[in-house]
Amino acid sequence: MQEETVQPPESPSQPKSLEQQLAEAQAALEQQRDAMMRALAEADNARKRAQSEAQAARKYALERFAEDLLPVADALAAALESKDTSGIDLTLRQLKTALEKAHVSEITPAPGERFDPHRHQAMTAVESGQEPNTVVAVMQKGYALYDRVLRPALVTVAKSAADPISDKDLN
Amino acid sequence: MAKIIGIDLGTTNSCVAIMEGGKPKVIENSEGARTTPSVVAYSDDGEILVGASAKRQAVTNAKSTLYAVKRLIGRRFEEKEVQKDISLMPFRIVKADNGDAWVEVRGKKVAPQQVSAEVLRKMKKTAEDYLGEEVTEAVITVPAYFNDSQRQATKDAGRIAGLDVKRIINEPTAAALAFGLDKQLKKDTKIAVYDLGGGTFDISIIEMADVEGEKQFEVLSTNGDTFLGGEDFDQRLIDHIVTEFKKEQGVDLSKDVLALQRLKDAAEKAKIELSSSQQTEINLPYVTADASGPKHLAMKLTRAKFESLVDDLIEKTIEPCRIAMKDAGVSTKDIHDVILVGGQTRMPKVVDKVRELFDREPRKDVNPDEAVAVGAGIQAGVLKGDVKDVLLLDVTPLSLGIETLGGVMTKLIQKNTTIPTKAQQVFSTADDNQTAVTIHVLQGERDMAGGNKSLGQFNLTDIPTAPRGMPQIEVTFDIDANGILHVSAKDKATGKENKIKIQASSGLTEEEIKRMVKDAEAHAEEDRKTLELVNARNGAEALVHSVRKSLKEHGDKLDAGEKEKIETAAKEVEAVLKSENKTEIETKAQALAQAAQKLGEKIYAEQQAKAQPQGEQPQGEQPKKDENVVDAEFTEVKDKKTG
Repeated sequence: MQEETVQPPESPSQPKSLEQQLAEAQAALEQQRDAMMRALAEADNARKRAQSEAQAARKYALERFAEDLLPVADALAAALESKDTSGIDLTLRQLKTALEKAHVSEITPAPGERFDPHRHQAMTAVESGQEPNTVVAVMQKGYALYDRVLRPALVTVAKSAADPISDKDLN
Repeated sequence: MAKIIGIDLGTTNSCVAIMEGGKPKVIENSEGARTTPSVVAYSDDGEILVGASAKRQAVTNAKSTLYAVKRLIGRRFEEKEVQKDISLMPFRIVKADNGDAWVEVRGKKVAPQQVSAEVLRKMKKTAEDYLGEEVTEAVITVPAYFNDSQRQATKDAGRIAGLDVKRIINEPTAAALAFGLDKQLKKDTKIAVYDLGGGTFDISIIEMADVEGEKQFEVLSTNGDTFLGGEDFDQRLIDHIVTEFKKEQGVDLSKDVLALQRLKDAAEKAKIELSSSQQTEINLPYVTADASGPKHLAMKLTRAKFESLVDDLIEKTIEPCRIAMKDAGVSTKDIHDVILVGGQTRMPKVVDKVRELFDREPRKDVNPDEAVAVGAGIQAGVLKGDVKDVLLLDVTPLSLGIETLGGVMTKLIQKNTTIPTKAQQVFSTADDNQTAVTIHVLQGERDMAGGNKSLGQFNLTDIPTAPRGMPQIEVTFDIDANGILHVSAKDKATGKENKIKIQASSGLTEEEIKRMVKDAEAHAEEDRKTLELVNARNGAEALVHSVRKSLKEHGDKLDAGEKEKIETAAKEVEAVLKSENKTEIETKAQALAQAAQKLGEKIYAEQQAKAQPQGEQPQGEQPKKDENVVDAEFTEVKDKKTG
């Protein structure tokens, strides 16, 4: 009763009461919390979408390449059926073009080139007049997809005289 | 903030994982592989090679190519394991001044910690390349039988690699974490971890106890064989093929290094293939040559044959399991879970043996090559606090949508969408001068509305009269953080809106959800047929409608005979609309479309500019149409890029 008489009537120009300020702050906080939760959920949903997209992309990534391989299979079958291998050269060229288009490149180090374990695999070390640790011969070509080695080139490497090689194999 | 990484530092292979968006992720190394061979080579020019490249130059650099160093780390030179290795390894194992087992490379003594540090450095780099920031902290796993000095040595290896090792955890414990066994409600459980990796076999019996709400793991016993693994399985297969080939062709492939290398690769592939199929074929054309000319290798191999080749290897894992159980003082019925780790456990016969021994189905739902690293990654996430954060976000267990023309359920929010979330779609009317629509909110996975749970419905009225498909009614679904669903429908022309609020409590129990998902799978075929029928019906009806409309507007441009033909075709479509035969409806609709072509030609010829896109659209369900357009564009772009 007393308080009521002491307090002057509120006018619009007066500062807001503490309760009002609290209510506003709480409302703002709630709004921000909701916005944050929505942002988090959206990020999570985006992640899920990205995942399913990546899955689909992986699934059909081979489409183009596979298409380019079909004529190669046809030609090989035709060669077998006709017992005439005159078209084999052309078929191999077809296959090479398909590989090139798919960004698959050959790894064929020239003799004397330095042995590079990132792209070559040493099969044996042989005595030769060459500088040690250089490629003597390629036993099987390697292949790379863009910058990634699909299969290293299998090579023989020149033995270094100072470091006799144990014949124990790692594999 | 920088992440803590989890590393499985293995004897033959290593693997690194992190927590990302609340999920563990295994990171590919720069060569694109998810695991890296634990091989380190010191080349003559001072370069240090780690992983596949180190393996590839082993032949030319055997003495300085180090592998399986994990067998030496933290051990004294005198220990019998070390002594055994000395005769087996092509590199020199020496006694360090402090009595530890070290290796000698290019005339210098090197501690196994330093060698392992090179592998760890590569794993660290792999994570950094992926994350794009420096990594300084890690969780590393070690075998359960590692003693204090081996653990300390592993920690030191981390330090040398520039990693602050936050925790060393046991490999079986990491595997249990990867399988989520710590999330189980059961109180004190015993777990058997059967780990058959590339070169080693470990069996561990661990116990998980709930201590004041925190899960603690204790290793009760371990056993194993440090010289038994997947590589032995490969070797058996190679030996078998070499023997068979010699019998058939008289040529010894093991004398031809190139042939042997090709055979090794083919044998590993065949082994993997036989885990999922009963038979495989090994084809190696021009594998070798002798005086008579080139030789080809073509051999069929059955799963049964392969199993017979490695039977004793699998059998060798059984005794250690028995001993481990005995040491732990448990019998098979005390074991709650059996988990499979290591690539070789993909072999069905191994799974069978384990099932037989423990008399329960082993868990194999986590990639066995990666389980340990994934567990280390999860532990790293827990230390960082990443793992807890994620629990805040909930998902909708079932799809939500509304009923559309023909009793079809059109989904606005797909199941497993993380909430809070909002979705919007524009719908239209199905009849001319329709002034009200009913928004019937549904939950479930069935394609047809009737098979799903009805959550509620409301009407939106006072839609101004207009031809079907013209009004635009925007339906919004909004699930807030508390799981409450707000559905509103708004007529875009008048701005009139109506809405409904559906409490989370009116949702479903776990049981109901499972039942509904199963139900949808069971009825998928039936629903698909119904859906196709409804679509055919809706399409045919819309066609009749639009043809009649055009006929009314432009009929005067046709002669009576043509008009008659179209009208007859339209009547025929109407006659079969109620039919349950989809093909019949489609055939009649097609006939009508063909008959109406004349009309279309006339209209286009004379009124090209006035073409109305809306008229072509059957239900005015615009978002569907938009989707198709986007799809087509996507294919276009892709074609241009790669072609």
